Amino acid sequence: MSKCYDDSEYKRRRRRNDEEERPRRKRDREEEHDDADVVQDGVQKSFIDQESDELVWIKDSCNVEVQSTDTQAAVSLQVGLQLAIALVVSITIGDSDEGQSVAQELFQQFDTEQTNKQKIFVENSKDVTITTTDTDLSVNIQALLQVLVALVVKLDVL
Amino acid sequence: MSDSSKNPKILSDKVIDLLVSTTLQKNGVNIDKAKKQLSDEQKKMFKELVEDLSKQVDAFVKKPPVNKKESK
Repeated sequence: MSKCYDDSEYKRRRRRNDEEERPRRKRDREEEHDDADVVQDGVQKSFIDQESDELVWIKDSCNVEVQSTDTQAAVSLQVGLQLAIALVVSITIGDSDEGQSVAQELFQQFDTEQTNKQKIFVENSKDVTITTTDTDLSVNIQALLQVLVALVVKLDVL
Repeated sequence: MSDSSKNPKILSDKVIDLLVSTTLQKNGVNIDKAKKQLSDEQKKMFKELVEDLSKQVDAFVKKPPVNKKESK
């Protein structure tokens, strides 16, 4: 019996607490959203989601040559290009809202989700040469370089 | 596979130029004013930076840097 009483008392208290808390939580949420708006500007600047998977399986073979793309190097190069673009924009246009907006819009043109999966099996073979290319990464890097060059040409740097 | 990787220009210069111009124009950027923000020293540094990055991209696109030889 006492348990029942405790339960209903507990529920009543919780309801009361909820009612008191609700306006406060709403206020908190609104404040959080205000913060989120500010934070998002910087974070969204460069969002490129890429996934590269590569598997080369060699079995019972001899003299097999594998040439594969160094994804790590490509990603570093991509980051370097993005940094260079952001730097040029930041110095010339300033780190103002319009400057951030320009950099964001330039990157957003390549704002894509890319997945690249390659699986190669070599079995019972001799004298094989395999060359794999991560086309997505190559395209992205070349396009970013073109944007950077176009930007600096406009600013009389080149 | 296409031979696009052999071509250093993946998109036409005009498209890229249009993209950059439109973006700058849309955000009300004054190009002449922006040009004055760069000192000669900075221009030189950016020139070197762009040339360096171009070389790296060219090297990456033309020849994959990893070369492994497997024998089993």
